[in-house]
Amino acid sequence: MTIPTMNLLVPIDAESGAKAARLLAAAEHDAPKSAGGHVRAAKASDMEQVARLFMRVFEKQEGPVPPSLTAYLAQLFLDAPERDPEITAKVHVRGDGVVNGFIGVLPLPFRHAGRDLRGAVCGSLMVDERDGDPFAGARLMRSFLSGPQDISLSETANPVSEGMWRKLRGTILPAYSLEWVRVLRPAGFALEVARRSVPAFGAMRGVAKPFDALARRVAPGVLRAPENPSAQDREIGIEELAELIQRIVAKTPMHPAWSTTALRRMIENASHKSRYGTFIARAVTVRGATPIGAFLYHVERGRIAHVLQVVALPGQAGAVLDRLFLHAEELGAVAVRGRSQPFLLDALLTRNCFHVHRASSLVHARDESLIEPFLSGRAFFNGLAGDSWTRLVGDDFAKDVTGA
Amino acid sequence: MSQSIEKDVRDFILENFLFGDESRMPDVTESLLEADLIDSTGILELVAYLEQHFGLAIADAEIVPANLDSIASICAFVTAKSKAPAKLVAA
Repeated sequence: MTIPTMNLLVPIDAESGAKAARLLAAAEHDAPKSAGGHVRAAKASDMEQVARLFMRVFEKQEGPVPPSLTAYLAQLFLDAPERDPEITAKVHVRGDGVVNGFIGVLPLPFRHAGRDLRGAVCGSLMVDERDGDPFAGARLMRSFLSGPQDISLSETANPVSEGMWRKLRGTILPAYSLEWVRVLRPAGFALEVARRSVPAFGAMRGVAKPFDALARRVAPGVLRAPENPSAQDREIGIEELAELIQRIVAKTPMHPAWSTTALRRMIENASHKSRYGTFIARAVTVRGATPIGAFLYHVERGRIAHVLQVVALPGQAGAVLDRLFLHAEELGAVAVRGRSQPFLLDALLTRNCFHVHRASSLVHARDESLIEPFLSGRAFFNGLAGDSWTRLVGDDFAKDVTGA
Repeated sequence: MSQSIEKDVRDFILENFLFGDESRMPDVTESLLEADLIDSTGILELVAYLEQHFGLAIADAEIVPANLDSIASICAFVTAKSKAPAKLVAA
């Protein structure tokens, strides 16, 4: 690839030519290293540098790169059976050959109004801050959004990414951009929130228990989900789960068109999030037989449970959430949190949940009619239809190096 | 033409990066990055402006400090793109 250099530029006009040449020479002299950089499709030999970048940017760690992370990045972004050769992860390479930026791209096919669409989810946008090179992030983002996909999505954009999306005509999706939280044990929840800033608070868990026991006696209707005698939950195997999710999701006008194989692989990936606890997948049934939905989440006693996905037949979201909350409570979670989806909002609001904004979900499409289903809440997006199912969110690769 | 480009670029910077504070307008060769006037979002904003306002098609490979990091380089870039766009597009 040939990168334009200053000698290809012409002076502003004849009169100021000499001055401009001098000024531009000065500008060239001062240009950062990325002046000779470029964006290209990521390849296997980049993955160790990408893993190093990941550890530096997201984990705030220097030092040895976990080989398991390098292998996982290659598996996820380069070797997945569903990969699309035209919709790929990209790297930004400095003029000296060093990879200083990366954008992870996962193909996500959609179906809408009988039409198959090419979708792409971007995540893990990272740029080495030590280079002080904002051009790398801008070029990676622009390169992604100018790809061949019909729909571009980001599930959890931070403020910087969100700003770039907006400048590139991305549309923020408020109804998909919230985190909902259902508190089950208020004192334990307060301690857990405090522990995240001051780990010593973790030693005080025992203190919270009597307060929570009292609170549950005083306000049982607020803290405990109602028991619906006709609804139960049961374990569900990955085959049946994938089939159930596909069947329910297909009722949403704009929905992912995963293959069963792809969905199984994603669920299997999602089960490995060691920082979030034990993976649980359960079907919710009525009268012991018909599945009306399912929930997938990670839970650990005394901690906040992380929901990856809730699916429910139309009108059944409340019943599925109730079973989720009861299950998490039985396993000792202090609260349950998950990513918002429009079909859950009504049920969440009547179940004493509160919402916070932590990251934004965004969509971009050259055909603006494809954005409307997302804006009107008639698209299935987030969780498995995003990138939070990957092990990059919630798994601890560093332990492979530290042995922790 | 060049004065017009420079004025338009200055107006854009004044409105979008300086929020009307003309006293902070950088010198013509001063780095917008080093002056802390522009970040990754600002770069995309600037590119969108140049494309829209001057009718340019800017390739990803052209989004480099050499073309966009100072008023002088932006003006030179716009002028060059307007005259000979083919030369500036990376292969």
